[in-house]
Amino acid sequence: MLDDQEIKRLLLRAAARDDGAADAFSRLYRLTASLVLGVAQRVVGRRELAEEVLHDTFVKVWNAAGTFDPLANQPVAWMVAIARNRALDLVASADHARVESVSDLAGEDDSDDVLDRFFDWSDAAAGADEAEDLRRARGFLRRCLGELAAVERQVLVLAYHHGMSHGDLAAHLAKPLGTVKTWMRRGMENLRACVEHCMDPRGAVKGGR
Amino acid sequence: MKLARHPRLDALCGEYLVGTMRGRARRRFERALKEEPFVAARLATWQRTFAPRPSDQMRIQPHPGTWRRLESDLGLARYREPWWRRVGLWRVWATAATAALVIVAGMEFQRFEAPRQLVEVAKLGTKEQPGTVTASLSADRALLELRSARPIEAGPAQSYELWLIPKEGGAPLSLAVLGRLDARLVVPEGHRARLQAGATFAVSVEPAGGSPTGAPTGPVILTGAIQS
Repeated sequence: MLDDQEIKRLLLRAAARDDGAADAFSRLYRLTASLVLGVAQRVVGRRELAEEVLHDTFVKVWNAAGTFDPLANQPVAWMVAIARNRALDLVASADHARVESVSDLAGEDDSDDVLDRFFDWSDAAAGADEAEDLRRARGFLRRCLGELAAVERQVLVLAYHHGMSHGDLAAHLAKPLGTVKTWMRRGMENLRACVEHCMDPRGAVKGGR
Repeated sequence: MKLARHPRLDALCGEYLVGTMRGRARRRFERALKEEPFVAARLATWQRTFAPRPSDQMRIQPHPGTWRRLESDLGLARYREPWWRRVGLWRVWATAATAALVIVAGMEFQRFEAPRQLVEVAKLGTKEQPGTVTASLSADRALLELRSARPIEAGPAQSYELWLIPKEGGAPLSLAVLGRLDARLVVPEGHRARLQAGATFAVSVEPAGGSPTGAPTGPVILTGAIQS
């Protein structure tokens, strides 16, 4: 289990660029690289591309470690976001390769199963002093994902977990592009409304913009 | 147009996080994140809501080459403590002293033993000079002798380390730390069975006192396979 406090400490140590920076960075890599690679692999679908994403992610982490906000409580989420961004860049520039790997999702189409196997919702996943609101938000997110209509949940999970674009989703689910976009939009909106309601049951009425 | 005033800013944040926003739209959104604090703040709110943690089942062990590439691309060696400071000089000294003691003990042990017959089992060398050093072994594989045609001595800050690469492969086993490649030594008991045809000797140059890591760190100057 990753300890956010430890990850944060290693990031700051690497940012110091002193004699211990390389050791801290290599420990950071040992702890998190397999996770970053796993996230990248799901999105890009091809191992050699995923290793490329892993490499580029850690180059960016090394260069940006100094700008990581030590008060931010989610260093792992920060690294995962960098990896996802890089992976999405890559699949956007190689759309044809994507379609092949998309058809290769045997056994990962049940979105509820994916949510509980590949994501960690337990309280233990949090660092010892993770802000209480983050801990609560994660519980709400899982609950609200469960309350979505099945198709809404499915498009969200496929898009996030497997890096599918609207076009990929339409092809994979054999539905018109417009339908897929509507499911996605409704799913996001329902999810946001649900989580906001859980966080602040009284204020939710005036939610939205 | 300022994205901050976009009527569907929340939907855009969602699409950005889920990843369906691609290409030009994505880059435009990222520019707005830098230039428009309101957009960045809105996304931050979304991130607090939508930050699932990948579980350990996601993990895939990376190829070792990826780390090696990172190490060299980022020049990480510059940010590493020199080995002698990391180990601490006292430990180098202790290792060197222990090594010396082992060699002396080996010699003592020799003195009380009846001379034993040694049989040449390997020639160590480079491609250009194949037979620089010969290795001979007693029948019970307990004694190993290295003889060089001309003296080969390590510099003051260096030691030679003799390794055995087992026949079945795997990590090199350290047999001895030596100041010169003219020596008679007692083979550690656990390694004797591995001194068989197909295994390979190798000599690397290490910091004085031997490899700080337990694996060869310096250049390998001689190798030779055991013949019989």
